[in-house]
Amino acid sequence: MSLNIIVCVKQVPHPEHFSRITLDPIRQTISREGIPAVINPLDLHALEEALRIREELSGKVTAISMGPPQARCALEEALAIGADDAVLLCDKSFAGADTLATAYSLACGIKKLGRFALILCGNETIDSATGQVGPQLAEFLGIPHVTSVIQIAFEQGSSLIVRQALEEGYMKVRVKLPAMLAVAKGINQPRLPTVWAIMEAGSKEMQIWGASDIGATQDMIGLEGSPTHVTGIFERDTTRRREILEGPPRQIAKKAVNRLHELIAT
Amino acid sequence: MDFAPTREQEMLRDMVRAFAESELAPNALSFDEKGEFPFEALKKAAKLGLVGIINSKEYGGSDMGHLARMIMIEEISRVYPPLGFYFQTGQIGMYGLQNFGSEEQKKKYLPPLCQGDTVMAWALTEATGGSDASTLQTTAELVGDEYNVNGRKVFITAGETADVVGFVAKAGDGTNLLLVEKGTPGFTTPRREERLGLRSIPVSELAFTNCRIPKENLVGQEGRGVRLALAGIGAVGRPGAAAVSLGIAQGAYEVTLRFAKERNLYGKAIVQLQAVQFALVNMNVETEAARWLCYYTGWLLDQGKSPGEIGPDIARAKLYATDVANKVCLKAAEIMGGYGLSPEYQLVRRLRDALELLPAAGAQDVQRVIIGGAIAR
Amino acid sequence: MNEVWVIAEQRLGKLMSVSLELLGKGTELARQLKVGLAAVLLGDKVRALSRQLVCYGADRVYLGEDPRLRLYQSEVYADLVAKLVDTHKPGIVLIGATSIGRDLAPRIAAKLKTGLTAHCVELRIVNEDTEKPQLVQVVPGWGGSLMVNIACPVRRPQIATVSPGVMTKCDWEEREGEIITLAVDVQQELRVETLEMVHEERTGAALEEAEVVVAGGWGLLSAGGFELVEELAKVLGGAVAGTRPAVDSGWIPEHRMVGQSGKTVSPKLFISVGASGAPQFTAGFLKAKVVLAIDQNPNAPIFDVADIGLVGDLCDILPCLVTELKETGLRI
Repeated sequence: MSLNIIVCVKQVPHPEHFSRITLDPIRQTISREGIPAVINPLDLHALEEALRIREELSGKVTAISMGPPQARCALEEALAIGADDAVLLCDKSFAGADTLATAYSLACGIKKLGRFALILCGNETIDSATGQVGPQLAEFLGIPHVTSVIQIAFEQGSSLIVRQALEEGYMKVRVKLPAMLAVAKGINQPRLPTVWAIMEAGSKEMQIWGASDIGATQDMIGLEGSPTHVTGIFERDTTRRREILEGPPRQIAKKAVNRLHELIAT
Repeated sequence: MDFAPTREQEMLRDMVRAFAESELAPNALSFDEKGEFPFEALKKAAKLGLVGIINSKEYGGSDMGHLARMIMIEEISRVYPPLGFYFQTGQIGMYGLQNFGSEEQKKKYLPPLCQGDTVMAWALTEATGGSDASTLQTTAELVGDEYNVNGRKVFITAGETADVVGFVAKAGDGTNLLLVEKGTPGFTTPRREERLGLRSIPVSELAFTNCRIPKENLVGQEGRGVRLALAGIGAVGRPGAAAVSLGIAQGAYEVTLRFAKERNLYGKAIVQLQAVQFALVNMNVETEAARWLCYYTGWLLDQGKSPGEIGPDIARAKLYATDVANKVCLKAAEIMGGYGLSPEYQLVRRLRDALELLPAAGAQDVQRVIIGGAIAR
Repeated sequence: MNEVWVIAEQRLGKLMSVSLELLGKGTELARQLKVGLAAVLLGDKVRALSRQLVCYGADRVYLGEDPRLRLYQSEVYADLVAKLVDTHKPGIVLIGATSIGRDLAPRIAAKLKTGLTAHCVELRIVNEDTEKPQLVQVVPGWGGSLMVNIACPVRRPQIATVSPGVMTKCDWEEREGEIITLAVDVQQELRVETLEMVHEERTGAALEEAEVVVAGGWGLLSAGGFELVEELAKVLGGAVAGTRPAVDSGWIPEHRMVGQSGKTVSPKLFISVGASGAPQFTAGFLKAKVVLAIDQNPNAPIFDVADIGLVGDLCDILPCLVTELKETGLRI
């Protein structure tokens, strides 16, 4: 069995530097200046799983991303880690896309790539953490999906048995190929690229496709194709509240639990 | 002029940093406390292609070059200087084999070295002197098909750990560069030196007592031993020591900066106190200056310059980076007060490591002699 | 304006608390919009749960029952809900951001080609007296340092997921609601099929991933050790951690140490018990969302880095806290 596996990756700001992401209060825009970008951490687990499947069953791993021109760095990294080739969906008209428009655009790109058995992505990104693009992409492609995947096993025929993590425990799910799986952290330990692979990455193929290359309909992509819009951004006050409670233990414990309810909810 | 790193160099840095943070950082204190050679870490680094970074692919290396090596050692030493220091010396031998060794020697020794399965040391220094080769007392007398070796070497990094040692001995009128394998009769490592820093990389004395070494173990031409050994130290050891120092400076600076942002005094973080801020600024600027001296050295070597041609450039990098490492660590200890010398703050081990860099790969004054010679000419 | 809906979630015949919390929020939104609140419930032999949904606020329950709906089936559930939404056209749909809710919601939104906003921490209505009232959905962004308002101005319904514990359920009220039984006929061959659901107690969550971390320090020595911390962590489903002195005392292994030379954690709730607050310790939880500190010394620096501080004897306070948490069932 030889499989074409597609791994969706997203370039995100380095999580260690989130506190440096600031807000321009007048223009209501985010400043990410000087903040290094990395591959979304969970996407590395998706890539790792793809590489393991390729090593076991043979096949080809294609990394795909949608983003601005500098997102090619994330794909170069994916190539260095072991992807066989890469596609960047890059077009001014993709800008401002919410998860639905992103999923549609990725679906168009993946259709152009041709036959595939499996799409893997991280269960969520670290910057917006919606976890929506994977299942929405699956819907646009008309294939089944499973999220929070922590284990993948191949069955006879063309189906998989996967474990889908729950808050307490897991579900055992059978899914027919082609399918989209969003993987969670526990699934594997991602590898680092080797020096040899870093030097070979430059000779691997990276396609850059715009909206017209993938036949995307204008009113389905970018800001125009996004049903949701950001209407405001504001900073969160992060100084600690220092509410000190003294008194009879039972009384202050009750008070504290009530406050915890409120604070954690906001 | 082009100061931009290549995409490959950027990815290398990211990779080494991730490796150092995940494999070295959690164990740095315990490695240091136990003083054991970090074999596991070396093997993992080797699998990533870091050990054979200036060796050709034919012999298992990854051949990314000298500037890449500087970045790699910097990033390793930012977290755990002793492993960087092993690269400083171990790779001299690997460079020596690659450039001066016979085909048989390369095939035999380089692949396991690049894999991290074996360890190599490079031995020049004797009790009577280091950089002055005219005082060499170790002798290698050709008897039939073998050299008969007698003498002692001191301060040999990874001497007792090494599976193979490249060493220099007097042979007739000249000097020879020879290889000795661990376990060869007549070759022992009688003493491990007490060490202040770099504690997981042993420094040993080597003793040769009628040690028989086959003639094929001669590296390069007969009679040119010291020149070859110094070429290795110049091209690999000295830049390596510079990069280790750079990494120490960077690591200590980051520890201090983080501390200054978290430590509150009189109601505000001490980083807001100008006295502390200015000290941090100096650390930042000097570390950055050291970085460019180091990278320039790596770049020159990648341009094919011989260590002889660029001796003063290499010396500048080592002299300055090592000074900066020591300065940064001392100032950091001042800023951090009692915490600076408490092991869990990870500064004190860096300070001890920085001191070890002073005599390494040519003492600071040896570097001044080299630069002085060039400017006074 | 059309109804507000809550897609209720049951697992093995038991309603998830987040569904009731959403009914609480839904009641408020529906009242503001002067529309009805409905719940959608899918499962096998779950009719009895409809009553709970009604008494917690639903005016109407759309009930779909079938043996093949016993476990969550992503394909069938998404199809059923999407068709139902398409027929009745609710204005707002709320879904609990549980692992299953997060699997289901995006698939539904994509089928309906409408907007979906994840992990909302606040929902409110603006322009309620106009033709097109808007749901303002507030979500944390970039690690929680910024908050973002999101709207779905044109397409309907407006779908939002909300994490457990964010909203508050209404008080139980004896009331009557309408139960609408759906005609469910699962004939299709499932391309994705949940075969079984395996329940596992949460134990010893990994420190960095834990939503709740309870860390003990030196002050526990006089309080008789670490059992109190462990009990508190268990109630909250959190991970146990400690300070350097706690490690040195052999109470916890080295890998569970929080601080400068240990782990850095950023849970939703960090509880410090009997630790004075040395900077090498507090550096390890700077990014926690909420910090609760408990210590006997009112002048301990730990209280400077806490949202809520409890001063008193640990032996007294901790058992009270455990009891209180058990009663209210704080969900993180």
